[in-house]
Amino acid sequence: MLEFGQPQVTIAIVFGVLALAIAVLALVIATHAKEDIPYEDVSRKGYRFRRPWLAFLTALLVLTVGTSFLLLPYASGGRPATVVKVSGGQFYWTIDPAVLPAHEKIAFDVTSVDVNHGFGVYDPDGRLIGSVQAMPGYVNDLRLTFDKVGEYRIRCFEYCGLSHHNMIASFRVEEGRE
Amino acid sequence: MEAHAASVVHPSGTEILATARVDERRVAWLYVCTGLTVFGAMGLAGIAMRLNQAEVITLSDSWFYRLLTLHGAGMLVAALLVSMGALWFVLRTTVPLHLGRMLFSYAAIVSGAVLVVIATLLGGYASAWTFLWPLPFDSFDAWRPWSTDVFLVGNLLVGAGFFVYCLDLLMQTCATYGGLQRALGISYLRDRDDSPPPPAVLAAMVVAIEGLMAGAAGTTIIVALIGHAIDSGLTMDALWAKNLTYFFGHSAFNLTIYLSAGAVYVLLPGYTGRPWKTTKPIVVAWLFTLVFVATAYSHHLYMDFVQPEWAAGFSSIASFGAALPPAVVTIFTGVVLIWGSRYRWTLASALLYLGFMGWAIGGTGAVIDSLIPINFKFHNTLWVTAHFHTYLLMAVILWAFALFVRMLEESAGRTARDGVSAFSLGALLVGGYGLVGVWFVSGTLGIPRRWAIHPENTAGYSLVASIFAIVFAIGFLVMLLECLRLARIASVQRWDRIPAPSSSLPTRADPEPLLSSGFQFAAVCAATVVFIGAYAPPITDAVESNVRYHHLQHGAMYLVGLLVGVAFASLPSVFARIRSHPNLGITLVIAGPVVMMLGMVPSIYESLESNAGLHLLYHVGMAALGVVTGLAAGTLGLVTGRLVFVLSIGMALMYAAGVTGG
Repeated sequence: MLEFGQPQVTIAIVFGVLALAIAVLALVIATHAKEDIPYEDVSRKGYRFRRPWLAFLTALLVLTVGTSFLLLPYASGGRPATVVKVSGGQFYWTIDPAVLPAHEKIAFDVTSVDVNHGFGVYDPDGRLIGSVQAMPGYVNDLRLTFDKVGEYRIRCFEYCGLSHHNMIASFRVEEGRE
Repeated sequence: MEAHAASVVHPSGTEILATARVDERRVAWLYVCTGLTVFGAMGLAGIAMRLNQAEVITLSDSWFYRLLTLHGAGMLVAALLVSMGALWFVLRTTVPLHLGRMLFSYAAIVSGAVLVVIATLLGGYASAWTFLWPLPFDSFDAWRPWSTDVFLVGNLLVGAGFFVYCLDLLMQTCATYGGLQRALGISYLRDRDDSPPPPAVLAAMVVAIEGLMAGAAGTTIIVALIGHAIDSGLTMDALWAKNLTYFFGHSAFNLTIYLSAGAVYVLLPGYTGRPWKTTKPIVVAWLFTLVFVATAYSHHLYMDFVQPEWAAGFSSIASFGAALPPAVVTIFTGVVLIWGSRYRWTLASALLYLGFMGWAIGGTGAVIDSLIPINFKFHNTLWVTAHFHTYLLMAVILWAFALFVRMLEESAGRTARDGVSAFSLGALLVGGYGLVGVWFVSGTLGIPRRWAIHPENTAGYSLVASIFAIVFAIGFLVMLLECLRLARIASVQRWDRIPAPSSSLPTRADPEPLLSSGFQFAAVCAATVVFIGAYAPPITDAVESNVRYHHLQHGAMYLVGLLVGVAFASLPSVFARIRSHPNLGITLVIAGPVVMMLGMVPSIYESLESNAGLHLLYHVGMAALGVVTGLAAGTLGLVTGRLVFVLSIGMALMYAAGVTGG
């Protein structure tokens, strides 16, 4: 069973509002398209908005892209105590160990023994946490911390052949080992 | 309700057929009709896949993924054909584009598409259009090995068709407007030119340069894959392959919107009665587009954590930044031109208008996904499918239809019927946005893309999407039927209701040699000496232990030949002989690098290395290939020739960097 992930819902709402705003704007422009207004008037008034519009979008770019750089999913800092070896193959996953502790950072060393695969991780409620590619000849270092105990589902996130959609596996997260 | 029998455009607008010669009209019909036919066929494949995901019909896994592969590659062909035809049609009134080359591009692209059909439907080929190494050769016995070869050659042909198109665009545009800086509007920007090229020319220049770069990358990876098909000992780096594949594929898909935008610059004023003039903001916008489109592709590799972080970061800026030129200039100016213009609403002009909306909404979805932490949550989910379908389906295809309908309306001397237009537009809007809307929701839910059978309890989304897709198809069909009606009226009234002008093509300047100063000749001579240095005995000994260095040394010999060829081509006496053979030049600048890279297949050169004479001959042959490519580049004029020269060097270096086996 899949559930909507919380960050995804927020982003989808933002997108939905923007898409709706564009559609409404398109409707407003369409209703004014039939009017007869001298071009000089339209261009004088219209182009007044262009600089502020550019400034706004540039500021938005700097703000959002800048903020996003602070939240990169890429590995940083020293290697965590728990390292999981993940290997994708047509059409299976090997995950070692497959039982992991909760509340601590875990490094997944993700690779592939044949073609490109994608390691998509879903929490016990079926919400997508994120994904990383499994590539032959490379090891991608994915760092995750799990706060929920239970079974985490893995689905393949890169097309890898005719049984791509059957490439499903799981691991368990349990409370601390002590 | 009977349609308007008066002019189909704005009272102050110009009918596009009035300035189109017979060749332009025929080429536009050929490209747009073929493109829309391919679109319709691939759309049916798409609906079949959706119905399978909805569990309404049952396709075998093999058939689902071959349709997926066919749909992706086929839609690229459809989008390229309609947008290439549209830009060529509007541009040829000002730039003397070459008819024969345009027909060659058509033949190459259609032949390539036929091979893709054969590979997928008969050979069972199903690697998806992305053909990510090593999947084409590691199918788990799912498809016949020959189908991989046929698919790759098909892609190479499609790429060659687009490459020739871009070469011609760049050659003719630069020759018409007097060089790179004038054709890109840079001279105008610097107040050194008071008659800038029209906006469609700026779009053409950017597409041509980007298209050639993407074509070079695509050729390199496809030839490397063909090399593996010839000799399984040739292997390659998976990250390298992925970079080249997406640089080629992302750029090719992305450029279709810019090709279409170039045509829109000419189509829209017909309904507003206001000309779309080149201004400094438009020039700046296209220059930014030139930079951003070339560097945005790396967002496909955000989740390949081994890709350098700076590449991902720059791609994020470029992907977001690429939205600014359309938002601030092209779409913004379009709104200013439309507002209060007594816009002439017809089926064609409504399609044109709605295309802007599709571009804006699809672009917004793409910009959101270009932020790396967000991409972590959406990468390869159906969100991605949603945003690119939005701008391809609801912008590129609607704009192609706009040109198609506009030509029919002008030929028939009347517009499409209001009721039919409203119905078909409504169906396209509801069906199109319903279809992509479900994908956006499914992506939010975390459903992976390219899955034949979706996770449990999610088939309902696909069912709803299938219904929307069928509604879109009904709108498409109704519009086609109305187009047939207009075509019948046009044929009764004679197609030449608007007589085609018989004026000759615009003039263009003669090509210039690639090197023109003593300093340039000296620089080329110095570079030649440096590359010959790659054959110094210590280097030769060292490279034998490393395949990449070994290939780099082969490439160095090609580069030596290339430099010599360029220098020869620039000598006045030689240039006077070769300048009138650009078609031969185009053939050889494509064939030269391809043969050079195939020549680096280990089974070819290894058998020669045991014999000193043959080994020497091999290296001389590499140099000779370079000389031929350099001479051929000399026929293409200063700008195009130099770009081809740089790309040929790039292909040799890229190949050597990525091919690891042997």
